[in-house]
Amino acid sequence: MEFKNFSLFINQTKVGRFADELAGGKIMSTLCKKCGKQYYPPQADCPSCMGSDMEWKEIKAEGKLLTFTKIHVPPEHFAVRQPLMPFSSVQFEPCPVGIIEVEKGLPVMGWIPKMDVKKIKVGMRMKASPLTLPDGKITIVLEAI
Amino acid sequence: MKKVAIVGIGHGKFGVRSDASLRELIFEAVKACLDDAGLSLKEVDSMVTGVAGDEFSFGIQPSAQVHDYIGFHPRANFRVEGACATGSVALRTGWMTIASGLADLVLVAGVEKMTEVPTSMATEIMGRAGDATWEYPFGTTFPGYYAMIANAHMAEHGTTEEQLARVAVKNHYYGSLNPYAQMQKEITLDKAMTSFTVAYPLKLYDCSLITDGAAAILLASEERAKAISKKPVWIAGLGCGTDSMRLGDRKSLTSLQATREAAKTAYKMAGVGPSDIDVATVHDCFTIAEVIAYEDLGFCEKGEGGKLIEAKETYVGGRIPVNVDGGLKSKGHPLGATGVSMAIEISKQLREEAGPRQVKDAEIGLTHNVGGSGQLSLIHIFRRE
Repeated sequence: MEFKNFSLFINQTKVGRFADELAGGKIMSTLCKKCGKQYYPPQADCPSCMGSDMEWKEIKAEGKLLTFTKIHVPPEHFAVRQPLMPFSSVQFEPCPVGIIEVEKGLPVMGWIPKMDVKKIKVGMRMKASPLTLPDGKITIVLEAI
Repeated sequence: MKKVAIVGIGHGKFGVRSDASLRELIFEAVKACLDDAGLSLKEVDSMVTGVAGDEFSFGIQPSAQVHDYIGFHPRANFRVEGACATGSVALRTGWMTIASGLADLVLVAGVEKMTEVPTSMATEIMGRAGDATWEYPFGTTFPGYYAMIANAHMAEHGTTEEQLARVAVKNHYYGSLNPYAQMQKEITLDKAMTSFTVAYPLKLYDCSLITDGAAAILLASEERAKAISKKPVWIAGLGCGTDSMRLGDRKSLTSLQATREAAKTAYKMAGVGPSDIDVATVHDCFTIAEVIAYEDLGFCEKGEGGKLIEAKETYVGGRIPVNVDGGLKSKGHPLGATGVSMAIEISKQLREEAGPRQVKDAEIGLTHNVGGSGQLSLIHIFRRE
């Protein structure tokens, strides 16, 4: 699995496994073996203790919504329908996005395809799940719980 | 450390400048700046060029385009970059060049040519100035980042969309009085409130503009400044702060840590506090950014920014006039030029040359320039003699 199936542009990284795990249904963080600090998005290096001995750990992806928006004027990459903007084919309009805080303060960003933006409230409980799109790209979606 | 003053200012017309290239834009500003100082380019020791985006201008050495076209070589000139705060990074670099004793007269020029590419591409280039790996895959744009900040601020402090629109109304009013502004027209509250949504809850009139433009200032050491200018504008305090790349990693989504850090340093260096500032230009790339700047700069308490604009305290005659040149909102926001343009407005105010926008007896002014969605913030405090 190429990392850019998730990131769109960037492909070369030490945490490429993130995309494989996401395709397999898991949202993964990294954990520093030396000092125990956890990173999401995953990092190959730990600025907390300057160590680079990390292990992968699945996150429990539920938490409070920190903030959200719905971008009506998309960047060019998403404005053209090739590659497909996630959910645009079913909704014919942009999809809200948000950031939830999971575990001990880890921020997880994702699309919120199933909600009217005016009904989304900061602080609501949501869960994050991986999703494979029809074109093979992988992403993350948030839904209320 | 040597004292440094602004002794010349030159502002080009901001707008959709389909009549001019990047190098031609900067020529206008440099010529106006030298005329203002009453000097020729031959007398200038060194130069700093601020340009934010290579992708707007189809060239990775914009500084070379600049020094070639104005005929500055072989003297020192290089490009600096700090996203939307690029102009202030150039000013800070110019200050360092003189304060360190490397030079006595330094030209600081900022320019951006943004309309050569289509709007959607400009939006994409700026959107990638967030975290291109972890945020951009979710279709983020600059309005999107600030919209997320706005939703957090509204949830935490009860700030309203109408309060945000009032910032746009103010800045358009002052833009209508600024001949260099891109949008020289007033707008009504209703027009701002009913404009289309760009990124919920931000609407068209909550957003700054995509702009071509250039601005230049001439900095001088103390001895030279006194000989050149009757009204030197002294740089009394400098501050610079940073914050995380991703919004989600921030300690606060309703305040910019980078600005708070920069303000603390700049106020301390200048020996002043927020209540001493007579006039300020702040980074209103979006209306919510101006409201948060009021709070982070100490012009009001945390969470009270919406009420400050509602009470019109940031108009001329109010407690602290802010962006009375029209701000990024109405004057325009050519990324590399913005910080320099801010310093020009404060210079005009302290030299009492701001015409109908003049703040009476302005002695101390402040500029606040943010890079990205708050990854970088630079503040400068200026004093007249």
